[in-house]
Amino acid sequence: MSPFLVRRICFSAGCLALCAATFFLWRVWRAALRPDAIYTGLLLLFLIFALTLFNARKKLPFLPLVRASTWLQIHIYAGWFCLFVFLLHIGFRLPNGPFEMTLALVFCIVILSGFFGLFISRDLPPRLARSGEPLLYERIPAFRLRIQREVEELVRQAERDTGSSTLGNFYVQYLRAFFVHRPRAFSALRRSGRKWHAVLAETSALDRYLNEREKAIAAELRDWIETKHNLDFQYASQRLLKFWLFVHIPFTYSLILLGVVHGVVATLYAGRW
Amino acid sequence: MDEPLTRISRPQRWDVPFGASMTEAEVDRLLTFAPLSSFDAARFPPTIPLRGILRNDTRIRRFERGDIIVREGDYGNSAFFILSGNVRVLLDSLPSQQLGRRPPQKKSFLASLAQLWSQPVYPEVRDYSGGKTMSSIDAARVRARDATGEGVRIFLQDVPGVLEKNRTLQLGPGELFGEIASLARTPRTATVIAEDSAELLELRWQGLRDIRKYAPEWKQQIDRLYRERSLAAHLRETPLLKNLSDEDLRNVAEHTQFESFGDFEWNASYRTIREASAQERLAKEPVIAREGDYPNGLILIRSGFARLSRKYNHGERTISYLGKGDVFGLSALLCGAQFDERTGLQFSLRAIGYVDILFIPTPIFEQFIAPRFSEADVIELRAQVEHDSEINLGRDAEATFGPEMIEFLVEQRYVNGTATMLIDLDRCTRCDDCVRACAASHDNNPRFLRHGRVQNGIMVANACMHCVDPVCMIGCPTGAIHRESLEGQVVINDLTCVGCATCANSCPYDNIQMVEIRDGGGRFILDDVMQTPILKATKCDLCVDQLGGPACVRACPHDALTRADMREVDQLARWLDR
Repeated sequence: MSPFLVRRICFSAGCLALCAATFFLWRVWRAALRPDAIYTGLLLLFLIFALTLFNARKKLPFLPLVRASTWLQIHIYAGWFCLFVFLLHIGFRLPNGPFEMTLALVFCIVILSGFFGLFISRDLPPRLARSGEPLLYERIPAFRLRIQREVEELVRQAERDTGSSTLGNFYVQYLRAFFVHRPRAFSALRRSGRKWHAVLAETSALDRYLNEREKAIAAELRDWIETKHNLDFQYASQRLLKFWLFVHIPFTYSLILLGVVHGVVATLYAGRW
Repeated sequence: MDEPLTRISRPQRWDVPFGASMTEAEVDRLLTFAPLSSFDAARFPPTIPLRGILRNDTRIRRFERGDIIVREGDYGNSAFFILSGNVRVLLDSLPSQQLGRRPPQKKSFLASLAQLWSQPVYPEVRDYSGGKTMSSIDAARVRARDATGEGVRIFLQDVPGVLEKNRTLQLGPGELFGEIASLARTPRTATVIAEDSAELLELRWQGLRDIRKYAPEWKQQIDRLYRERSLAAHLRETPLLKNLSDEDLRNVAEHTQFESFGDFEWNASYRTIREASAQERLAKEPVIAREGDYPNGLILIRSGFARLSRKYNHGERTISYLGKGDVFGLSALLCGAQFDERTGLQFSLRAIGYVDILFIPTPIFEQFIAPRFSEADVIELRAQVEHDSEINLGRDAEATFGPEMIEFLVEQRYVNGTATMLIDLDRCTRCDDCVRACAASHDNNPRFLRHGRVQNGIMVANACMHCVDPVCMIGCPTGAIHRESLEGQVVINDLTCVGCATCANSCPYDNIQMVEIRDGGGRFILDDVMQTPILKATKCDLCVDQLGGPACVRACPHDALTRADMREVDQLARWLDR
């Protein structure tokens, strides 16, 4: 059994046990007419604070703290547990006040963005690893420009060699937009590669009108299309892998702020109505 | 009008002599000393004359009583021939501090925490305001003495005390020392100090190698010295020979031959070879033993790496790699000795880069070593030979890693690494937490590039591998790049680095970067004469001064990064097969 599977089983079992124990306590509190919402709320606030410590750990790489990979595992399973405590806290019902609704919405955004981040951090790296040479994100725009220039030079070469403008016209009409295009981050999640296939098919279909020299250049163009497709995927994937945190982290801080306000208000007015 | 092209004569080996003060008169004087006087100059080729070697590859050094000539554990590029005076070889190890080494110091918890706010805004900031100089060797019992243009020298203060408390060996005029470490690129095995005023001829290893090649009597002397001083100890440490009696071991040592394969400065040719095809690369690797040949003897790898391969259609498939301490040919020899079955070698052995071997001839093996093996051992070995395995390895890297990966690791010579940075691209999210952690721990500038060659989804990043054979250390004029004494990490002493870039150019893996250093205000620190920025060599130091070890590994949230010792095949295989 792989060490990762063992780790997953252990953490999952621990998380389930914790959920079961908390659920039992919650039932007991409810049966004993205790303020279970206060208890689960405090637990929830504590968990949210604990979860944000992962980001603090990242800022202190030089301290002999537990490895970031262990922190992440705790972060993930604590996140699951947090969701369960949240459901207990709201009593498995939708909140009714505007403030509570906002708070619940922010919580859901944080949780969902976290799960989304987890999904893409497991799904995209293997696909990235198999999409050509690994590229540094910051260098991708320069690569894109280089590819575009190489392709344009190739097309000009074709015109000089053959005296025909077929490939040049084809580039302007179909290919230029593909080579200039900057993909959106979410396009990394699409697996169809529809545009890429379409451009490739158009280029292949052109072969019947080309002489041997032009066919050789068209084959080179297809290689460049493949390279650009890989580049686009790397760009979109890496962008998505970086930018989901721009949702997760700001909303986490908003959640803490709103949660503290909610906690203070709830504690102050607990049992007064 | 175009400016004329600049034309210079091609740089030659002896453009920069080892000792600037060597004169023809000094060479004449040297040639009066035995055994130099007995060398036949006619045997040296016209391009590398004996006088040329003495003039350009040697220098005369004078030491005072107590001066440390070589330190145990240091890597050196030269050997010493005693012209006059006496030196003492310390047979016992001296404490690191007594030898002028700093004990490895790690930051305290508070000092580590202080990095959070004390880190300069700009990268590569150095503080020269306190008048810091190259005095890191200034330990309690050692002082630095200026030695008229020969750089800083270290001396022991309490020479009588040291000589009294430790076992020593006296060497006098006409004797040679330091040749083993310089030729095999291994650490010095002992500390040598001047017993009184001594005049020594220091030969850099290139000259030593050539004299050894063209003056057989010199080679014999070096081999004799090695046989006398180190061979018995080396053989004794070989597990295969541990059961031999002293008498048998002496006999084995007497008949053991030394051989070297490949290019000592393999890093120079490696850059061109790595771009060649697999067949071309293989063709350039010297064959130590060929598959199918009768085994003439047992081969013990003394230093360097060798590729183990077998024929596969029109090419050769790499099975594994052997390093220091590994043996080759044992199974075939034992089958021959015990069952009188003369089997050919199952594999070919080729030098990767540079390899030093010890060769024990078959008759000696059969007479002294084979009888020590029990019948059960031999039957087990024989079964393994029949299954095309190789007991000599103790590992079958091809089966463990897969054929592509082992070819990749061997051909790119990553097997040299003891802390190679491997990144599992199937898990790496390119978050750069490793890079940021490295920068936060090192002058705001990461000491590696998250980029490198990839095989089967595993990237070997451009980070110092802390090589078994650190060719980057060859030629460092100040010894700034050195091994940490205890754990062997290759580190750069920033204070003594002169920014010559020799190490960066020597590193075959491009893992050393030259950086322009700045003051606290972010301005480049300039050379006061040339007005050009001061350069320093930087590279991964495995966070030797940080609590908790390499920050990059600890910072990776996805378990995608590790520092692997390529000699630990099983450990590496476990990581790859998670």
